[in-house]
Amino acid sequence: MSANYNVIGRSVPRIDGPEKVTGAAKYTGDLKFPNMLFGKILTSPHAHARIISIDTSEAEKLPGVKAVITHKDVPTLKYGLSPARWDENIFCSDKVRFVGDKVAAVACLDEDTCYKALKLIKVEFEELPAVLDFLHAMDEGQPLVHEEYERNINTEIHQEFGDVEKALAEAHHVRSDTFVGQRTYQSPIEPHSAISMWEGEKLTIYSSTQSPHYFQHYIAREFGMPMGDVRIIKPYLGGGFGGKLEPTGLEFAGAVLAKLTGRPVRTFYDRAEMFAHNRGRHAQHMEITTGVDKDGKILAVKANFIMDGGAYTSLGIASAYYAGALLPMTYEFDNYQFDMFRVYTNLPACGAQRGHGAPQPKYAFESHLDNVAADLGIDPMDIRIINARRPDTVTPNDFKVNSCKMRECLERARVISDWDEKKKNLPHGRGIGVATGSFVTGAGYPIYRTDLPHAAAFIKVHEDGTAATLYTGSVDLGQGSDTVLCQMAAEAMGYRYEQMKIVAADTEITPLDFGAYASRQTYMSGAAVKQAGEEVRKQVLDMASSMLNLPVDDLDCEDGIVFSKSREGKSLTFQEVARKHFVLKGPLLGKGAYTPPKLGGSFKGAAVGTSPAYSFGAQVGEVSIDKETGEITVVGIWDVHDCGKVINPRLLHGQVHGALYMGMGESVWEEVLFDDKGRIKNAELANYRVLTAMDMPPIQSEVVDSYEPSGPWGVKEIGEGATNPTLGMFSNAIFDAMGVRVNSLPLTYEKVWRALKEKREREAAEKA
Amino acid sequence: MYMPDFEYHTPRTLSEACALLAELGEKATVLAGGTDILHKMKVGKLAPEHLVSLKNLDEIREIRHEAGRGIVIGALTNHAAIYNSPLLQERYLSLPMAAHTMASTQICNLGTVGGNIVNGVPSADLPPILIALQATIRLVSASGERSMALEDFFCGAAETVIAPGELLTEITIPDQETTGSTYIKFGLRRSGALAVTGVAVSVCVEGDKLRDARIVLASAAPTVMRATAAEDFLRGRTISDEALAEAGTLAAAASRPRDSIRGSAEYRKNLAEVLTKRALRKAIDEGHV
Repeated sequence: MSANYNVIGRSVPRIDGPEKVTGAAKYTGDLKFPNMLFGKILTSPHAHARIISIDTSEAEKLPGVKAVITHKDVPTLKYGLSPARWDENIFCSDKVRFVGDKVAAVACLDEDTCYKALKLIKVEFEELPAVLDFLHAMDEGQPLVHEEYERNINTEIHQEFGDVEKALAEAHHVRSDTFVGQRTYQSPIEPHSAISMWEGEKLTIYSSTQSPHYFQHYIAREFGMPMGDVRIIKPYLGGGFGGKLEPTGLEFAGAVLAKLTGRPVRTFYDRAEMFAHNRGRHAQHMEITTGVDKDGKILAVKANFIMDGGAYTSLGIASAYYAGALLPMTYEFDNYQFDMFRVYTNLPACGAQRGHGAPQPKYAFESHLDNVAADLGIDPMDIRIINARRPDTVTPNDFKVNSCKMRECLERARVISDWDEKKKNLPHGRGIGVATGSFVTGAGYPIYRTDLPHAAAFIKVHEDGTAATLYTGSVDLGQGSDTVLCQMAAEAMGYRYEQMKIVAADTEITPLDFGAYASRQTYMSGAAVKQAGEEVRKQVLDMASSMLNLPVDDLDCEDGIVFSKSREGKSLTFQEVARKHFVLKGPLLGKGAYTPPKLGGSFKGAAVGTSPAYSFGAQVGEVSIDKETGEITVVGIWDVHDCGKVINPRLLHGQVHGALYMGMGESVWEEVLFDDKGRIKNAELANYRVLTAMDMPPIQSEVVDSYEPSGPWGVKEIGEGATNPTLGMFSNAIFDAMGVRVNSLPLTYEKVWRALKEKREREAAEKA
Repeated sequence: MYMPDFEYHTPRTLSEACALLAELGEKATVLAGGTDILHKMKVGKLAPEHLVSLKNLDEIREIRHEAGRGIVIGALTNHAAIYNSPLLQERYLSLPMAAHTMASTQICNLGTVGGNIVNGVPSADLPPILIALQATIRLVSASGERSMALEDFFCGAAETVIAPGELLTEITIPDQETTGSTYIKFGLRRSGALAVTGVAVSVCVEGDKLRDARIVLASAAPTVMRATAAEDFLRGRTISDEALAEAGTLAAAASRPRDSIRGSAEYRKNLAEVLTKRALRKAIDEGHV
C-alpha cells in the first residue's frame, strides 16, 4: 500500500461545479422535446374510500386534452420496491388508501389545461373509516387498509440473539424508556419529474432518480418488456435522500400517456404532491430496555418498536429491519432482542430517508443510554467509551466489523469539544450532549433478488489520449460522487483528474450500478472504477514497455507520465502512449465490476444491515436554551468520523454538514402534520420547517486516521452516517441543559418550554 | 399548481385604477406584490374574475418626509425598499428591521407594505410596528378618500374596513416624541419564519419614567391588537424590571390566541408575556431598533 497518491486524498474542484453554479446544468424538469405534452396525476381527496365510478368524458372533451387514463388503461400488476410486498398499483381500481393516492392521469398541450382537465374527471367515492393512528392500527375492529393484511400488519419481526432475559436478570441495573419519533420528509430541492417517450417498442424515460437500474428493472417488469427496450436517462439531480429511489408513478403514467398519444410526456410533482408521494421517515414508537453492570457495561438490550408505514410498503420492510439491525453497531453487547411491527395506516407511504431506519432508534437508544448513565452517576462520554465497539468484532446479529475506531472518535470529540471542561462549568440553560452513529457502506444484498454485480464501470481513453471518460450507472445526486469516482479513476490509471470526463447515468450507455442509496457508491462503484482504471493502466504500461524497450515491471504511471523506475529520464506521456495504443491495438478501454462477498447470518432478515464495511462516528453538540420560551440555540457541533480513507476532504466535510443539517431538522424543527381526515397540514416549506443557512451553527468536522482493508484504497461511507447520531445528540444536550427529558421528536421549543414549566410546577408542589 | 383564469388589468394612474375598481366592484381583486394573492389563487382559495395590477402606479411607491406630517410611505413600497430606506433607518430603524426579518429576499423584493396591511392577517409583521409608531393610512376611491389610524383598519381575521373600490395608497408615520421602538418576532427558525407571536412596542422615556408606551401584539388574537391595559399600567410609571414584567402579564391576559400549527394558545400567551417585557426593555435601553 503506497501512501503517495496523486489524485485521491485531495479536495479537487467538483467536476459539475461550474455548470451548477452558473445555472447551466439541466435537470429533468428543464428538458424540452418537440411536441412534448404535459401530464398530471389526479389523486384521492380521501384517506380511505371505495371508488364507485370514474367518468372521464367531460375531461376528454376539453380542448387541449390529448389523453385521459385510469386503471382500465394500465397494467394491473402490483409493484413496489421490496419484492416481498409489492402492494401498489399504477392507479387505484377498488379503493383509495390515502389522501394523494393515484386515481387517473391526463396528458395535455400545456400545464394549465392539465389542471382544468383533472377538475373535469368525476370520481364517485364512498368514504370508509380510516386508520390514522398507527398505535391503534393493530387493534380489534380497526378497518383494514389492505384486506389481505390482517390487523394491518405489514411487517412483523422477532429476533433474539444470546439470552436477554438471563442477562437482564443478572444485571446490576435495568432501565426501560419509551420514545416516539415523528414523520419527516426528505424535501429535496428538485421536485420529482419524468419525461417519457417511445420509439416503436422502445421506451425512454428521463427521470430524477437515485437508481436508473432499479427504475429500469421495475418499469420493464411492470410493462412486461425486456430490460433492453427500457432506457433510463438520469440528468443532473437536485437531491433525493432516499425519496427518489423507487418508481414514483410519474413514469408509469407518463409511459402510458406517451404510448397513447405518440408524443413525449412530461409528468411531475409540485411541492405539495411531493409531500403526498412521501417515502420519508416513518413515525415510530420505541421501547428500549437495557441492563448494565455496575461500571455501565451494557449486558443486554431489548428493543420493541412499532412503525407507521403508511398505505404502502415502499422500502419499508428494509426500514423496519434496519431499525433494529443497526442498533448494536456502535456499542458491544452479546444479548439483544428486537421486536417490530410495521403497520399500515391511511397516510402517505414511508420509505428510506437518509440514515435509513437508524436515526430514530439511535435517538431512542442514545437518550436512554444517557438516562442509564445518569442513574449510575457515570459521565455520558465515559459510558460510551466503556462500551465502544472495537475493530474485528462481530455484532450479536452477525455483522462482521473490520475497521472500527469508535473509541478514537469519542476520545477526539471529547477533546475538540472541550467536553470535560464544559460538563463541569456550563451554567443551567446551557448543555452539551454526545451520541454515536454507524452506517453501512452499501447494502450487502440488492433490493430485488439477483446475482448481478452491484456496480460496474467502463473507462474509455480518447483516441489522442487527451481525455478519458468514465461511464458509470452511479448517481451523483449532489453528494459529489461524479467527482470522487473521476478522482479514483484517474488515480488507478495514473492519469490526471483534470482530463477526466464522466457519463452518468444512461442505462443504454453506462454499465450497471445500483445507484445512490445505502451510502454505497464511493466503496462499491469505486471498487468497479478502480478495477477499470487498473485495466487501462496495465495496457498503457504494456504499450510503453514496447515503446521504451524496457520491462513492464520497471515502469510506472503517475499523473499522466509513464516512467522507468530504474532509469531516470526515461519517460513518455500517458497521452502519447494511449494514442499509440489506439493506432496499434484499437480502443484503449478498461472495465470493472464489483460484487460483495457473502455476508451475514442465516436467521430471518439476516441480510438487512449486512455490509462489507461500516462507518463510525461521534457527535457532540452544545445548546443554549431560552428558559422563558424554550427556544434552542445551537452553540456548536463537533463531529468526528471513522470513514476510512478520504478521497476528497472538502466533499467529505460537505457530506457531514449536509447529514447534520438534515439530522438537526429532524431533531427540533421538522414534522409532517396531519388533520383528522388524514390530510397533510403543512405540505409546503413555510410550515414544514427545513432549516436555513441562518440556523446552522459552527461545525467542526474531523476524521480519524482509518483504513478499511476490504475497500478500494481503504474507503468507507460518509453520506448517511453523520445523520444517525444527531437526533440523540440534541436530545442529550437539551437534557443536560435543563435536567428534563423530552421523549418525543421533534424536540420543539414549545415541548422544551412545557417540560421546563412542568418541572417548575413539580418543584413548587414539592416545596409546598 | 393550478392558476384559475382571470382578466388582467394594468391601469396607468391612480385615478384610472380607482375608476376601474369602481366599475368592476366586487369582481375585482387588487394585485400589488402578489405574494399572498397569487398563492391563494393557486391553492384554490381565491378565484377573482379580474385582477387589477397596480404595477404602473409609481406615484405610490416612494418614501418621503413631509414637513408637518411625518414620513409618508407609498403603499406599493416593497419590503426591501423599506429596509433599505436611509430615511427610515435613520429615524425609525425598528421598521426596516421588522421588514428585514420578515421573509426571504425574493419575497421582500415583491411583497408590499400595502399588501401586508390589506391582507389583514394577524401574523403580518409590519402592522404591529406601524401601529406602535402611530401610523395612519389613506384610502382612496373613485368617490373620494378617507384617512384613519392603522389600528382601526382591522376588524377580524383577514377582515378590514376597506370597501370594494377602495385602494390603500399611503401610510404616514407622524412626527412624534417616542424615544424608542422595536418589533420582536418569535419564529420557529432564524429566517423565513412566520410569527408564532410577535410584539411591537414604542416608548417615550422621560428620566426614569415612562411617559407613554404602546404595545401591539401580532398573532395573539384574530386581529393585530393593542394591549391597552398594559399601556395604561405603564403610563407615568418608574421603569423597573418588575413593572415591565407586570406589563407583560397584562398584555398576555388581554391576548386571545388560538391553537395553531405553529403553537398552542397557551404557548402563544406565554410568548406574548415574555416578548412584551423584552421588547419594552429593548426599546427603553436601545431606542428605535
